[in-house]
Amino acid sequence: MNESNLNPDDAKLGRLLRESRATPALAPRFQQEVWRRIEDAEAGAAGSTWLDRVAGWVLRPKFAFAAVIVLVLAGAALGAREGVESARRNAQARYVGSVVPDLLR
Amino acid sequence: MRRPLAILLGAAAICAAIFAGSYYVAQRVSARRAANPADDLDWLRQEFHLSATEMARIRQLHDGYLPQCGRLCQRIADKKLEIQDALAGSTNVTSEAERKLHELGDLRAQCQTQMFRHFAEVSREMPADEGRRYLAEMQRVVLGSHETIEQSMSASPGHDHGNH
Repeated sequence: MNESNLNPDDAKLGRLLRESRATPALAPRFQQEVWRRIEDAEAGAAGSTWLDRVAGWVLRPKFAFAAVIVLVLAGAALGAREGVESARRNAQARYVGSVVPDLLR
Repeated sequence: MRRPLAILLGAAAICAAIFAGSYYVAQRVSARRAANPADDLDWLRQEFHLSATEMARIRQLHDGYLPQCGRLCQRIADKKLEIQDALAGSTNVTSEAERKLHELGDLRAQCQTQMFRHFAEVSREMPADEGRRYLAEMQRVVLGSHETIEQSMSASPGHDHGNH
């Protein structure tokens, strides 16, 4: 065999190779089958309730971590404010108790 | 119970526990840090932003007022005992009991007058705005408690003062 006949730039050879590559025919109803599978996948996703989706969301570590941080900060801020306020009320009651006799209250 | 619902309820319970725990701890810590139970006048210092000098003058006034107040309170307590004696075993309000009731009223009025004079003196030791706020607050507390008592009496059956 002459090696010069295997030149990949040979146009004739290229055409022969393309013609020899078999292109299988699509299965019957191929396109309908593809659409059916897409619709089935979408129907499966819609079948999960909002409860499933929220529960899945809650279980995400990022969400859980953020929620804990927010709750701790909110609880601490409100608690601290209430603590200062209750200390103020107690201090006021102590002062009033010291200057206003029980007989007049 | 469905699993997602159980997850959500569990998460809600954990959230509530975390919030309540943070709230409780912060409330206790800040209340303890803000309180000074050893000093009756601490409220004045905090609420009306008083300096050490102003506090020293007010403390002097306070210490001078307490014995006067105590003496009047003792006289009021004695007068109440006299009224109890005058009313004891009688189905009528005698003239003596009536006189003593008037005397008790006078003593109470003296006590209140002395108290409001003290409040006015204290307020003058404060910056003007804070002094006015202090006076208004003390009037609210003292007169407000009387109003509460009077309202509770007029609201109770058989004490319909408004229809006299």
